Amino acid sequence: MKKPLKPSDISKKSDCLCRIEEGELAPLPPPYEDFNQNIPTPLKAEKTGNIETSLDNTVAIGIPRPASKEEEEALIKQFLSGLQKLFEKENNWTFLQPLLLSLEHCARCQTCSEACPVFEMSGRQEIYRPIFRSEVLRRIYKKYIKPGGKLTAKFTGDIDLNWEAIARLAELSYRCTLCRRCASVCPIGVDNGLIAREIRKLFSQEMGIAPKELHDMGTIQHLKTGSSTGMTAAAAKDSVEFIQEEMKEITGYEVEIPWDVEGADILLIHNAGEILSWPENVGAFAIIFQAAGLSWTLSSETAGYDVVNYGIWYDDVQLSRVAVRHADIARRLKVKKIVIGECGHAHKALTVIADRLLTGDLNIPRESAMVTLENIVMSGKLKFDPQKNDFPVTLHDPCNVVRSMGIVEPQRRILKKLAPRFREMTPHGVDNYCCGGGSGFAIMSRYNFAEWRNLVSSRKKFLQILKAFENESPETPKYVCAPCSNCKGTIRDIIHYYRAEERSRLYYGGLVELTVNALAGMKKPIINFGDKPSWE
Amino acid sequence: MPTLELNGKVYEVDEDGFLQELDKWSPEFAEAYAKLEGIEGGLTEEHWKIINYLRDYYNKFGVAPMVRKLCKDTGIDSKKLYELFPSGPAKGACKLAGLAKPTGCV
Repeated sequence: MKKPLKPSDISKKSDCLCRIEEGELAPLPPPYEDFNQNIPTPLKAEKTGNIETSLDNTVAIGIPRPASKEEEEALIKQFLSGLQKLFEKENNWTFLQPLLLSLEHCARCQTCSEACPVFEMSGRQEIYRPIFRSEVLRRIYKKYIKPGGKLTAKFTGDIDLNWEAIARLAELSYRCTLCRRCASVCPIGVDNGLIAREIRKLFSQEMGIAPKELHDMGTIQHLKTGSSTGMTAAAAKDSVEFIQEEMKEITGYEVEIPWDVEGADILLIHNAGEILSWPENVGAFAIIFQAAGLSWTLSSETAGYDVVNYGIWYDDVQLSRVAVRHADIARRLKVKKIVIGECGHAHKALTVIADRLLTGDLNIPRESAMVTLENIVMSGKLKFDPQKNDFPVTLHDPCNVVRSMGIVEPQRRILKKLAPRFREMTPHGVDNYCCGGGSGFAIMSRYNFAEWRNLVSSRKKFLQILKAFENESPETPKYVCAPCSNCKGTIRDIIHYYRAEERSRLYYGGLVELTVNALAGMKKPIINFGDKPSWE
Repeated sequence: MPTLELNGKVYEVDEDGFLQELDKWSPEFAEAYAKLEGIEGGLTEEHWKIINYLRDYYNKFGVAPMVRKLCKDTGIDSKKLYELFPSGPAKGACKLAGLAKPTGCV
């Protein structure tokens, strides 16, 4: 039995504060028991060098240890300066109020812990409790920032500030997917997800510490080349042209994908990952928009063809830069609205969060693709043949779209109409579980982080998917509908890691593919299971 | 920064073994790396077709192509691609071709 960890232990010098042992992770049902002893592969010192690994032997950021005592002190000073700024109106006008309320009012009732898939699936490791990292931050704030804090620390909960505490706190802010299921169950509305996100922000904005995938290769590359994939406008156009040819070949439908049409009703912005990894999603949108006779366009401006906004996960400045860029492109193209493709975090970034940034003519209406698709399907303009989707379907709810924004029913009304064998997961809607790839985890894979994701943060979703299909034969192909690029990438990795295509015939894809798959008059299906067409 | 020694030459690579200085790539690099990647018997004409296509595309567009486009333009299907490069198109083929690790939501 492990000794329970206390928040003050975060400053204790040791190789590893919390190590997941074999057999501790929540058990998987047959035929997946052979994975029950798996844990993230222990890191080798010769590979990690001077990277800090002492939280849980997993690395999300990869922070180099300070080389001297002076360097350590400078880092602590910088951390405290950043912490101070989190509590100043001028420096944190975005999230100061919810941060303060969440820090002041937690009653430690633990309702959030029971709701957290990472905590539950990890075998209830103390450090993954939603309140553990919040309590560390709360204690540091009370002791080092509040006047007289050092005197009262003995009574309100002491903590020592040193390099270990800082580095572990930074890493720990990347063991939460920011799914905010904890916040939704809290009786008084404390948002521990937001606290994790504000910790990330402190490290990024004040100390330049952030995962490479989110910052250097993420928002920086996005603003510079036009896409976090590194795709330039020329590459995007080349790929989309190829998608047009592919659509004709795969479905028999001839589609024309418009670029930079001034005055179009809709500017559709995809997550550019769709173009490279899920081209049928981009093609399906083009088919259904064309079939419905919509006036729409893509944009080839820098960042105009990639709706992602990784800033939402770690940095307000980068968040603002990207959001303003997107809105400005739409303004200059003189479109009536932006439609956001199947990308969850972009939904929340560009519609909800950016709403306070976009003033005057930058405040162009933004619409979820779920809503656009529902309007098309329900308009009666197009004929559908639901029997073409005659296979088991379940729906994954992307946290940002569903829990955070309340877009719950449009996608369900489409599925109820077009997928006769649709069944819900348990629980679902705003009570859904995260895919495990939220907040950037889907694209973070340095050291053993992808393994940690597959084994720990995605585990609950995998169990939910298996449960939804438990009455189906292992030989029947099954479709997990996940209308979000990062959720799809994560579910793809789950299926691959657990060999669930071979064992359970699990497949996955978006919502628009299912819609087009049931469109009457199509010569061939857009959905295939392996090399088998979904209908003939 | 981790390094990788191949045939007596030292290369800077990231944690996943992707070449960091892209101009250090050479056909010898690919040949030597193939052994580490579990490709038996050296690189064949088909391997080179993939590697050359990837390098040309990357030079032109700054990003690796869609896998489907790679397959179509080289006439090598995705099943065969995995036989040629057991770690897959991104982690196997791109790495040998000296491309940067794929980024973004892919």
